[in-house]
Amino acid sequence: MLLNGVRKAAIARSRKIGTNGMELAMDVSLRESVQLVSDPRNLDASVHEVFQLMLGVDCRREVADEQQGQEWVTAVVGFGGLLSGACVFRTGGQAARKIAEKMTGMEFDDVDDTVKDAVGEICNMLAGAWKGKVPNLSANCGLSVPAVITGHDYNLHVQAPEFQLRHTYRFDQTGFVVTIVCDGIQ
Amino acid sequence: MSEVRTLIVDDSSVMRKIVERALRQAGLDPLTVFEAGSGSEGIDVLKTRSVDLILSDINMPSMDGLEFLRQIRAQNLAPGVPVVMITTESSEEHVRQAILAGAQGYIRKPFTAEQVKERVLPLVHAA
Repeated sequence: MLLNGVRKAAIARSRKIGTNGMELAMDVSLRESVQLVSDPRNLDASVHEVFQLMLGVDCRREVADEQQGQEWVTAVVGFGGLLSGACVFRTGGQAARKIAEKMTGMEFDDVDDTVKDAVGEICNMLAGAWKGKVPNLSANCGLSVPAVITGHDYNLHVQAPEFQLRHTYRFDQTGFVVTIVCDGIQ
Repeated sequence: MSEVRTLIVDDSSVMRKIVERALRQAGLDPLTVFEAGSGSEGIDVLKTRSVDLILSDINMPSMDGLEFLRQIRAQNLAPGVPVVMITTESSEEHVRQAILAGAQGYIRKPFTAEQVKERVLPLVHAA
């Protein structure tokens, strides 16, 4: 439901780019470059770029080690246009506060609206940086505004995606997971 | 440098604060900032305030940054005031659309304070 919503928003936004953009979209296909689009190095480079520039930290990729039962903060930015799907950023409540503190220079006692806003913006920048790494995708794929979900013990499921990248990263003691889900490509 | 009155339009309050911090790091001082969470809020600010510089996100709900830019040009709000778009969208098509709508500058998120300085200061000095 949530993915459908953000995807529709992203499709609407890709159409708002303009007539020229839509004409271009009809002539361009990503089918020939699925390998380039799904190259995992693009996601690593995007994470490195966003966290280095916005938080001043270096992230290292590591094997997934998610703790169960804790509060999760998840941001979703939909892709629409030549590629449909979503960028999903998921982290624990404590890590979300740490990220927001690094971005704003403020301290947070709980996951308030500012922390959710910060996590949503990180996801937004990751989605933009990731699609910017692929020729044709940047101009022909719109982004939705971020949606942020908080809660305990939930998972994201996508049926039969074209491809999915799911990487876990860490800086200091702060871990997070970034997932790119593509469920349609033209 | 005389006071630079700046309107920052972004639906993210965190990004508005980050942009303000980058402007101060770029040497815009003294700086007075007016914040707006959407294009329509930005228009309301411009109807009551005089500004020297406008920085706007593009990807916003309700009225996006490009429509905001078209509206302020159509309504002759802030004539001659430089507008810089700050956005995650970086394609040539997006830049072209922003320039056509009347933007003088374009900064891609994520950005450094140095990039803000390079692209904003010349516009402020020229205005």
